[in-house]
Amino acid sequence: MTPYWDDVLAALARYPARPEIEALPLRSTAFATLYGVRLTSLGPYRLFGYLSIPAGAGPFPAIYYPPKYQSVLEIIPQGTANLQRSRYVTFSLAGRGQRNADTPYSAMFPGLLTEGLDDPASYVFRSIAADSVRGLEFLLARREVDRRRVVVAGNDIALMTAALTPGATHVVATPALFYRTAELAPKTHAYPLEEINDYLHLHPARADAVRRTLAHYDLLGFAPRVTSATLLMAGAPGTLLDGSALRPLATALRGPASVYESQQSLYKDGLHSERWMAEQCGITDVQSILPQAWQDATHF
Amino acid sequence: MVNDRAEKYRSRVRKPDDFDAFWDHVLRQAAAIPLEAEVVPDPLRTSEDVEVFQVFYTSIDHVRVAAWYCRPARRAERTPAVMLLPGYQMDPPIPKEWARKGYVALSVAPRGKLRSNRQFNPGYPNLLTHNIVDRHTYAYRGFYVDTWRGIDFLLSRPEVESTRIGVTGSSQGGGLTITTAAMRPEVRAASAGAPYLCGFADAIEITHTYPYEEINDYLRLYPERRADVEATIAYFDGINFADRISCPIIVNIGLQDNVCPPETGYTLFERIGAADKRLYPYDGHGHDAGRARHSGIADDFFARHLLGREVRP
Repeated sequence: MTPYWDDVLAALARYPARPEIEALPLRSTAFATLYGVRLTSLGPYRLFGYLSIPAGAGPFPAIYYPPKYQSVLEIIPQGTANLQRSRYVTFSLAGRGQRNADTPYSAMFPGLLTEGLDDPASYVFRSIAADSVRGLEFLLARREVDRRRVVVAGNDIALMTAALTPGATHVVATPALFYRTAELAPKTHAYPLEEINDYLHLHPARADAVRRTLAHYDLLGFAPRVTSATLLMAGAPGTLLDGSALRPLATALRGPASVYESQQSLYKDGLHSERWMAEQCGITDVQSILPQAWQDATHF
Repeated sequence: MVNDRAEKYRSRVRKPDDFDAFWDHVLRQAAAIPLEAEVVPDPLRTSEDVEVFQVFYTSIDHVRVAAWYCRPARRAERTPAVMLLPGYQMDPPIPKEWARKGYVALSVAPRGKLRSNRQFNPGYPNLLTHNIVDRHTYAYRGFYVDTWRGIDFLLSRPEVESTRIGVTGSSQGGGLTITTAAMRPEVRAASAGAPYLCGFADAIEITHTYPYEEINDYLRLYPERRADVEATIAYFDGINFADRISCPIIVNIGLQDNVCPPETGYTLFERIGAADKRLYPYDGHGHDAGRARHSGIADDFFARHLLGREVRP
């Protein structure tokens, strides 16, 4: 990577993860056991994640959900059938500042995107990217995980993680934060990119510093190091991050990439990514682990 | 293909005999607590066209509740207002876009949400089952009141046209829109998307996705508490509030909603008491409830009822 990211990874390596794993009976079922996981990241900072292990003999394919851009940490994304946990090991991680990892630092949403933005060394996403790498390292160390089938599914952090550390065989990424940010933010009033506009409106003299920081985070810089098969989830046609906007990113990825353009339906979009992950992981009966309302799937 | 099964579904939700007495008592308790509103300018979020404030007020149990408050920089002396209610897991948004449409806008963070979690913080997952065996201390007792107190805040503002207040939200925000429109007669127009907290007892049988799955998790570990759980949730079910709604209301649902089953949306709509009501079921849509197609309809609805504009036929 670049010296900036080499430094981050070297700093992270100085802190052993020291995981603590505790079963959570309330969220465990006949088909999967849920664990709360605490582990150390850069800082040092103690993180939290939810690890779900299917019943039965593994190893199993795995889905890693790296830190999202929200305060809440989900076990699996809202709307996903709980039965997903019967077929995949899942691990969702709260980056620093999110709930369950908000001591001593509690992030604000909106607010996180510009925390320390005028200095690459202090920008909060430097540490959050490290958190995400630490999470993937932890997951890959689990004996229940089939390392030939490890999906990282999330926003920009998913793609960054796959670039920064080996082990992701597949990526499902929905860019929202770090793709041509300095160029695209002024074209929207929608959060989270509006946070950049707010920040520069109040601190116009910091514009160059912000651009310098964001340059370290642009997904185009990470893409040549991503060898995983990647599904890019684009916005609907005509939106800021639609398929044509993401085409250069898809081209820059080193591994095979496909771009799915949103149909502005969480049902159709969600079904596409669920099927893609299942197909990539060799799960032939994906129908059985879809939400009930999607199992008819008469729209395809 | 239209989801006939959902439309014909027969709900298990029944209204407790003392439902109204319970909530009237809660309202009396809340009314005894001063609002003590603070309005703090937020220069970071303010722009030339929208003024942004952080708001704090006191709700039942003396819990301090936060909100975002936006108003158009250029506005009439008294301006129509819209209150936005948040989804279960979302962080309440800064409602600048509503101010740009010409409304004063309040986006409430009920207790337990970020910035309102110093005194009450059951976490996520957990909120849905926090004290679920006792209606007097169940998490949503205070949570609901926090949103209703948002109306009190708007009524306290000199720049708000008090006869033109609307409420909207999707998912949990849709459910809270139902309960707020039911309990606050000052609400003159309501738009609820993919309403959550409506048909709890039905939803936990139909779907196995979070957040409703939190209740199934709870009952799996504590099966002996089922009767207490069912007794509590009946007092909080939006379907049981719906007959109190008298303002114009629109409801949009997704027929492939994997979070809030369309069965519950149909039942809710049937129970809404307002004469001026309309349901928009979107086939081919999930928990988005057709948002991209529906947003223009909701904009026109509020423009007609709050801004007094006749818009598209």
